[in-house]
Amino acid sequence: MGSVRRRSKRLESAISICLLVILMVIGVGVFLRQFDYDISRFGIDTAVAPQLEIPFDLGSLAPAGFETLSAGQTYTTENLYEKIDGKAPLYTESGFEKLFTRRFVSKDDESLLMELYVFDMDAAKNAFSVYSVQRRAEAKDLPAFAFAYRTSNAIYLAHGKYYIELVGFSESDELLKAMAEIAKRIRSELAVGDDIEIAELSLFPSENSVPGGIKLYLSNAFGFEGLTDTFTARYKIDGETITAFLSKRVNSNDAQLTAESYYNFLIDNGGVAKPTANKTIKAKAVDFYGTTEIIFVVGPFVSGIHEAENQQAAEKLAEKLISKLGEAAKAVKDD
Amino acid sequence: MTDQTSENFGRREFLSRAGKAGISIAAAGTVSYLLYDNKGPKTGIDTEELVTLPDFSIPYQQGQTISIVKGPDRVETLKKAIELLGGIERFVKPGEIVAIKPNVAFASPPMLGATANPELIAEVVKLCYSRGGAKKVVVTDNPINEPASCFTLSGIGKAASAAGAKVVFPKNHLFKHTTLAGGRLIKNWPIFFGPFEKVDKLIGIAPVKDHHRSGASMTMKNWYGLLGGRRNIFHQDINTIIAELAMMVKPTLVILDGTEVMMTNGPTGGSVSDLRRANTLIASTDCVAADSYGCGLLDLTVPDLPYLAKAEKAGAGTTNYESLKPIFATVG
Repeated sequence: MGSVRRRSKRLESAISICLLVILMVIGVGVFLRQFDYDISRFGIDTAVAPQLEIPFDLGSLAPAGFETLSAGQTYTTENLYEKIDGKAPLYTESGFEKLFTRRFVSKDDESLLMELYVFDMDAAKNAFSVYSVQRRAEAKDLPAFAFAYRTSNAIYLAHGKYYIELVGFSESDELLKAMAEIAKRIRSELAVGDDIEIAELSLFPSENSVPGGIKLYLSNAFGFEGLTDTFTARYKIDGETITAFLSKRVNSNDAQLTAESYYNFLIDNGGVAKPTANKTIKAKAVDFYGTTEIIFVVGPFVSGIHEAENQQAAEKLAEKLISKLGEAAKAVKDD
Repeated sequence: MTDQTSENFGRREFLSRAGKAGISIAAAGTVSYLLYDNKGPKTGIDTEELVTLPDFSIPYQQGQTISIVKGPDRVETLKKAIELLGGIERFVKPGEIVAIKPNVAFASPPMLGATANPELIAEVVKLCYSRGGAKKVVVTDNPINEPASCFTLSGIGKAASAAGAKVVFPKNHLFKHTTLAGGRLIKNWPIFFGPFEKVDKLIGIAPVKDHHRSGASMTMKNWYGLLGGRRNIFHQDINTIIAELAMMVKPTLVILDGTEVMMTNGPTGGSVSDLRRANTLIASTDCVAADSYGCGLLDLTVPDLPYLAKAEKAGAGTTNYESLKPIFATVG
């Protein structure tokens, strides 16, 4: 009996020591942890940029004769404003995920400096939207790319889900050449998967279209919140610049409802209904402060002409657009 | 089983152990109570620590509140614009310390027009010293991008230093909290206060820019650089914050540079094709009036920028700049 008691006491002592050791470890852990609490839970900005993966080593894109200047930076929706301030909402409201930046400088001439911006916009449509709405008036298209143009100091492109800017800090042929080299490497090395098709782009008639004139408004097209995912295209017809638009809805009923809502929006805001001169097109026309708005529905598409100065030219384009959309609507139905 | 228990754990032993356990629990509880911090980390500051930006404005002089000078050379138009308002001597007195707050928001070259032009900064610094007799001129901003890059790439750091100014970068200890009387957004908010605390005069210098959120960035929006903390949250109510900044900051003089105007893709721009030459420079003691004229350079009207009316309503200036009888001139 005595040996049992001794064994029990030794066991109890061992267990007690183990428990005390565990408690001490916990105590030390709590003590150390208190110096490293999550400051953000107290509403205080840690000001530490998040570490995120980059699509690939942007530094490796340095063109011949150039080298990287300082480390690359990464931004998220939380801190994008630290890079582009008031322009951040344009991106964050269009699906923005991350921005990666890197600067390059000529090894021979430090005034030849450029900055690369790679915006991960999550989807090709989003990237195309921010690319198209920011298109510069003096843009010169780069035919080797699907969506790319240059100005006298910069190159802009949409590549899959990425919107990319290469901004030169001076106007220089050498810089433009180096930027073009980077753009080509991005096209060949930055994988974008299959998410690169934007079907609506081929739905606009090509005749008389203005090159690079297609834009995508993800929301609030023409100030009307019901018009989402709306593509616009510019045309030159009979000397007039005319804007056509289309938005693919869930189905034809939804398209009808959207078209009605947009029509009512125009009327509520001072528009006056008027007949179309061309009776072959089934559309509603509105005189909107001296310009002509035409709205029609073809299958799942809400489409029309926006603020045309010349109604005749507008109807001519509407007829072509209806015909083109009819083919697409038929294809959708057949599917 | 019962026997063994009663032998190992008698009543006396039980009471002894229970007593020890109780003492241990009480001791642990007491220590915990003494160490417990029921306030947690400090997240705000006491009211008595709040600061107020000094009033740097000068007495009103009828007919000398706003000058608008046309010309391609911004240094020449600047000199003329200040001369028309009575010369720099009206704004800077001998021995005074002057703070210049240019827009240095981005690490961007002067060519892109996203920041104030360095030549303009240098000229104002020179005028403050040579004609105004300033004791010291400080050039400072709290940029959106990393400060050293912004001051370097914009050329402002070098130009200001070369002209004799002291360039001050934002540091944590230079920020103090403020609450704007009558303000809705600026409440117990950190501002870049240090460089302005002991200066006599304040001159704001800003380019005319398109701004995706507010419509335009000019002299009033330039004060956004004084805000610390996560100031981007104010973008949700951009018109109110700009109006409140105009209420909070009472400058001696503002210079609005519309020599080249960023017409599109602001406030960052990125391409020289975003710029349009307007060859106009405005100097004024009234930010609201200067911006109300400046918006026309962006093909906008006063109602297009709601913050102008808000600021006017709050008494920060007038949108009816014509009522101030602007002095027009052309140089070159």
